[in-house]
Amino acid sequence: MSTAERYLKPEVINQIKRLDLRAQFIIKGFLHGLHASPFHGFSVEFSEHRKYTPGDDPKDIDWLVYAKTDKYYVKKFEAETNITGYLVMDLSRSMGYTYRQELTKFDYAICLAAALCYLMIYQQDPVGLLTFDQKIRSSLAPRARRSQLGQVLSLLANLKPEGETDIAHSLTQVAAMLRHASLVMIFSDLLAEPEPVIEALYRLRHGGHDVILFHVLDEAEVQFPFEGMVELEDPEDHRRLALDAKGFRRDYLKEIEAFRNTYRRECSQARVDYVPLDTSMQFDKALTEYLVSRTARR
Amino acid sequence: MTFVNISLLGGTALIALPIVLHLIMRQKPKRLEFPALRFVSRQHDANRRRLLLRHILLLLLRAGAIALLAFALARPSVHFSGALGSQESPVAAALVFDTAPRMEYRRENQSRLEAAQELGLWLLAQLPSESEIAVLDTRPGPGTFQVDRGAARQRIERLQSVANSQPLTAALDEALRLVGEHELPNKEVYVFSDLSRAAWPADAAGGLQGRLADAARVGIYVIDVGVQQPANYALGEVRLSGQVLSSRSPLRVETELSCRGSAGERTVELHLVDNEGNPQKRSEQSHALQPGESQQVDFQVGPLGIGTHQGFVRIVGQDGLACDDRRFFTVEVQPAWQVLVAAPEPAERYALFLTQALAPAEHRKRGEARFDCHVVELGELSERPLDGYAAVCLLDPTPLEPAVWKKLGDLAAAGRGVAVFLGRNARPIESFNAPEAQELLPGRLVRQARAPDGDVWLSPRDYQHPILTEFRRLSGSIPWRAHPVFRYWELGEPADGVGTVVPYTDRRPALLERPLEGGRVLTMTTPVSDRPQGEPWNLLPAGRAWPFGILMHGMMRYLVGGGQQQLNYAAGQTAVLQLDPQQTRTTYQLFTPGETSFPLAADLTQHVLVVTSTDRVGNYRVRAGGTAGVDRGFSVNLAPEQTELDRVDEDQLAKVFGPLPHRVARTRQEIERGFSEGRVGRELFAALILLAAVALAGEHLVANRFYRE
Repeated sequence: MSTAERYLKPEVINQIKRLDLRAQFIIKGFLHGLHASPFHGFSVEFSEHRKYTPGDDPKDIDWLVYAKTDKYYVKKFEAETNITGYLVMDLSRSMGYTYRQELTKFDYAICLAAALCYLMIYQQDPVGLLTFDQKIRSSLAPRARRSQLGQVLSLLANLKPEGETDIAHSLTQVAAMLRHASLVMIFSDLLAEPEPVIEALYRLRHGGHDVILFHVLDEAEVQFPFEGMVELEDPEDHRRLALDAKGFRRDYLKEIEAFRNTYRRECSQARVDYVPLDTSMQFDKALTEYLVSRTARR
Repeated sequence: MTFVNISLLGGTALIALPIVLHLIMRQKPKRLEFPALRFVSRQHDANRRRLLLRHILLLLLRAGAIALLAFALARPSVHFSGALGSQESPVAAALVFDTAPRMEYRRENQSRLEAAQELGLWLLAQLPSESEIAVLDTRPGPGTFQVDRGAARQRIERLQSVANSQPLTAALDEALRLVGEHELPNKEVYVFSDLSRAAWPADAAGGLQGRLADAARVGIYVIDVGVQQPANYALGEVRLSGQVLSSRSPLRVETELSCRGSAGERTVELHLVDNEGNPQKRSEQSHALQPGESQQVDFQVGPLGIGTHQGFVRIVGQDGLACDDRRFFTVEVQPAWQVLVAAPEPAERYALFLTQALAPAEHRKRGEARFDCHVVELGELSERPLDGYAAVCLLDPTPLEPAVWKKLGDLAAAGRGVAVFLGRNARPIESFNAPEAQELLPGRLVRQARAPDGDVWLSPRDYQHPILTEFRRLSGSIPWRAHPVFRYWELGEPADGVGTVVPYTDRRPALLERPLEGGRVLTMTTPVSDRPQGEPWNLLPAGRAWPFGILMHGMMRYLVGGGQQQLNYAAGQTAVLQLDPQQTRTTYQLFTPGETSFPLAADLTQHVLVVTSTDRVGNYRVRAGGTAGVDRGFSVNLAPEQTELDRVDEDQLAKVFGPLPHRVARTRQEIERGFSEGRVGRELFAALILLAAVALAGEHLVANRFYRE
């Protein structure tokens, strides 16, 4: 399996495929004025015919096909979005952390980004990629072509999380970079002071961008599964603390929950979609949550 | 404290284990990368302190559990007192029984003494073989170890209550001395007591605790055989109007009837013993009493015939303690005393106040006057024979011839009394300061002291002198101030043996006593014959002069010897009967209350009969020479404290024992447990194991709570 494909595992693709179908129903709903598409769209594009089944809207019956075949077919439409998506990846060293040695936060974020990229390219939306640590390191301009998927995945595959990060500064740079209203999807563990980051998120929102903040933490960072005496070291500033893990767990969990709640509250106020994730969660769950939150927002 | 397996105490060294685990061999922390360290560091300081406390608590609990386990396995035992030994090691034991009369208190048809004997015999059987046993009671005297167990048993069985019981603490003291000196290492003292207050006087604490050094290794067990709530009626001490009475004065008997336990009505009877020795009821009274109440009981019996009279007061009916239901008394009745009153002319006028005080006209008319007063002029003294007089009074005497002074001196030496009331006629003072007069008078006359402002009066310091007996009940309310003394004779250095009976308020003597061989001379430094009109030397006989009357009576009774003879004693006291100096018999027969009699030798040098064996309560009789001979008597009663049933409480008992270790037991089980603990000690195993279990449970709980997922 190629590096690019590693991020497109069949089960992931399958999950996303199902979401894709679900997205098609949503577009259909948008067309009928029932539901809004989760993505902005100004027109719809014919996709395929399907046999009429009772319950379908008779308005969708293609009378030309009926004239030719004497059978009822309904037209299926696919949303044609013109929204530009940006995948913004955090390259900090802390993103390369994993406790169970299976999937780092960074790997998890890339899988998620690839899946979203696939979904958007599949729907012919232009998708671009931005990576940052203390500032923006690389960028890939948004394209809606199928080849864009390969490029994005290729770039993602070559990224390595290392060094310190400055999320707030980098997001401010992103806000300055983007000229048109876009969908900005940020993948980060947000291990920095929250106030400047939240300020930067407001700035992005002020630029007219829709923002989805995927807050990716390691399973260990959420559950603190350590036992006995441990000496913990921060991979970025190399500070160390020795402590009795069992006695500490409750306090730690309180702290991390408070941290997530801060973002949840602030993002809600800024109308930023905040999706707290950890590396033990299924992708579909993450994406479903994302889509549900998008739907609710519309 | 002793240990069965002392080597296991070494197990306490295992305390080091948790300490090493906690402190020295601390677990090396596993180093881990953790990006979210920022959330850890915020709580780190508070958490570290809490963890430290938890670790210390855990360390203490673990170390405590190990120490307690090691301690428990070493099987320590705490000794109540005394040396270590097994249950069967021989002991030097002293069994001390309270044999005071109150131990006769009966309940459930068993007296306290019988209950103590029963427990004592049982205890005797429990003592290890080869033990040395002493049985002591509260009879005065030293105690010894019994020859063998059989002798101890016999001694216990023969115990009887004794009337002159000493406090139990004295017997306990003797028991401690006895076992303390014994060579056996295990020493035990068992005290059988009804725990009454009188048995454990607080003032005995010092003496008892003085034995602390010897007694520290002695196990002391107080075995309570008393009754918590006794019910009883009791008669108090008998008070008589006099132990020697004039044939013309009635006998007044006073006592107190007290009730304890339950309310009820009781009849008190007065009996007098007739010539045949049979008691005859002379009077009775009924009293209704509430618990804790006591009422005065007064009897008056008309003038009695000359001679010795004995009787008793008793409560009719039965109660818990019989020995305090009867009190005995003896009085002697003598003919009216002949008193010669000599005064200057006109003698009758001078003697009026004194003769009225000693023999009021009313009493004389009814023939009840205690004294027969004969008034003569001073001049007649030289010729008048004085043999028939019990006392001679000189009222405001003028200078007398030396022969008269000598005559009066001889009278006093013969055991009679002389009273001199100095007054304005004592001039010139040289004649009173002459050697013959000074043989009788208490000192040289110096001058007349004056106190015209009326600020001097008689001021007795206390009322302990026999002359002042009658004032005792009234002390504090006697209006001496209403009878001021304006003038009196000031005396020089008092002669040998002279004592002041009553002083004035200015501390100078008013009434002085001078003993003279068998008799005595009383001198008053102010007269009792001055009328209030004119310039009297004092107002003693003026107005409501009852203090004057009582004082004159007291003086005269003292002079004639009526206040001296003691005829009523407490059990154990030595009875002394004064004999007539004319009496020459040397052998008398003593009849005791137990109907036994034995001969008694008189001390003719002192003219007394001495009876030392007064340990039986009742009326004693002394006779000699048949019906025409001597017939005397005296009574012996229990001292009031011998029948007091008030119980001593634990605090008071603790005060008596002070730091002496002791244990109070009531039942056989308590006694058994007591000496089991005393000999082997109280095993602490169970308590320590319990504590260790608590420590382990605490450790488990704390550890679970700390390390809970």
